[in-house]
Amino acid sequence: MNDTQWPRFEVFKQDTPGKPHQAVGSVHAPDLEMALLMARDVFVRRPRCHSLWVTPADAIFSITQEELEAQPAWLTAPPAAAPAATETYLVFRKTSQRRAMTFVEHVGEVVAASPQAAVQQALTQFATAPTWVWWVVPAGAVAQSDAEDSASWFEPADDKTYRHQSAYGFVSPRRQRRGPADPAS
Amino acid sequence: MTTEAEQLAHFEARIARGEKIEPGDWMPAEYRRQLIRMISQHAHSEVVGMLPEGQWITSAPSLRRKMVLIAKVQDEAGHGQYLYHAAETLGATREEMLEALLTGKAKYSSVFNYPTLTWADVAMIGWLVDGAAIKNQTMLAHASYGPYSRAMVRICAEETFHHKQGKEMIVHYATQGTSAQRAMAQDALNRWWWPSLMMFGPHDSASSNSEVLIRWGIKTKTNDELRQEFVDEMAEEFRAINLVIPDPALRYDAATGHWVHGPIDWDEFWRVVRGHGPCNAERLAARRQAHEDGLWVRQAMAGYAAQRVATAD
Repeated sequence: MNDTQWPRFEVFKQDTPGKPHQAVGSVHAPDLEMALLMARDVFVRRPRCHSLWVTPADAIFSITQEELEAQPAWLTAPPAAAPAATETYLVFRKTSQRRAMTFVEHVGEVVAASPQAAVQQALTQFATAPTWVWWVVPAGAVAQSDAEDSASWFEPADDKTYRHQSAYGFVSPRRQRRGPADPAS
Repeated sequence: MTTEAEQLAHFEARIARGEKIEPGDWMPAEYRRQLIRMISQHAHSEVVGMLPEGQWITSAPSLRRKMVLIAKVQDEAGHGQYLYHAAETLGATREEMLEALLTGKAKYSSVFNYPTLTWADVAMIGWLVDGAAIKNQTMLAHASYGPYSRAMVRICAEETFHHKQGKEMIVHYATQGTSAQRAMAQDALNRWWWPSLMMFGPHDSASSNSEVLIRWGIKTKTNDELRQEFVDEMAEEFRAINLVIPDPALRYDAATGHWVHGPIDWDEFWRVVRGHGPCNAERLAARRQAHEDGLWVRQAMAGYAAQRVATAD
């Protein structure tokens, strides 16, 4: 091995306790633990964040509405003859076409024998909104930030007000001429 | 059986309805190719863009300015990550994109191949270069490809502070600064004005990709349209603080309501794009050095992770 950029992990961020975890992008890391730390550095330079989840990109089963329409038989296909043991899957979906900085968001869990079966179940269980993209992830493949780390991981971003354009006020030439001189400049 | 023509019609209808194309959805090979080209170049620009400003972190004039600059450079690193992610959703790998950058095969914004000679350059980059970038990125936030659009929305939300801190400094130096500070601001404008205009890319007549990018909703405005918006805005701003844009031909055209700029030196633009700008070699050498210096860290961490998996079994 001459070089590596490490495997890819998808990152889910929960802004506040009442909100769902939302897919914000990915990081590359050697393992789940480092992926969480990388996710903090890349996606929490500014508030708010309450909790982070990461999962290896290849643990995600993803299917779009267009893919489902292209293969309708897939939806009604009976489960595999000898179903393996079931496990819990986290279900994420994209329900809006509005411009946004987040992608799919967490909607709940299903227990299923395969990712395909998990999507089939999600289609019935979460049929509450038109959905453009589904992601299902085995719960065991997801690492979560520790609530005990929350203060040290996420709160420092609160104090860095200079990361926001509002910290610079309304900059106009006229205002500057009237305003006090800034001795720090 | 769906023919390619039917798939294309369906794809274009989705874009016309304002739907986002997502990974997994059908897309023309040319759409994928154009996006990988644009997004990876954009990612490289964020990464290389750290270098000209990063040089000034240790020489910032106050602790506050230093914290602001560190935060800004850190943001650019993050923006590179967001964009590499978007390109990866199209099948490009991180390894091949970095390889292309480090071997000089990949392009990035030509503006980062100019040197930062004074502190005012840091301020002028914030106002002019980030200002030009935001014009482009605000448009790209509407892009039809979901992952690119989302990266742009996130970047725009963060980048407004880059623009504002630069503007605050230049306006301050020009209106309340000492004569030396004022001269420094003017000198920075003299050197950064034309490279900033070139950031919008070749004239529409020479831009081979524009038509297809607009047809498929990746871009919604042409290079010249964006450049004109920028010139109109900046001409007024600099006039208000009595800094002189280094373009003797610049004039306001009452008939169209636009500022008309003089000819852009496209020979210089292509020279810099092709690797012969003032700092191309220096920027690439700095990236290569950083990559080589980080190799043992990447390997050690991968080794540690592998070992933990082995002991856990």
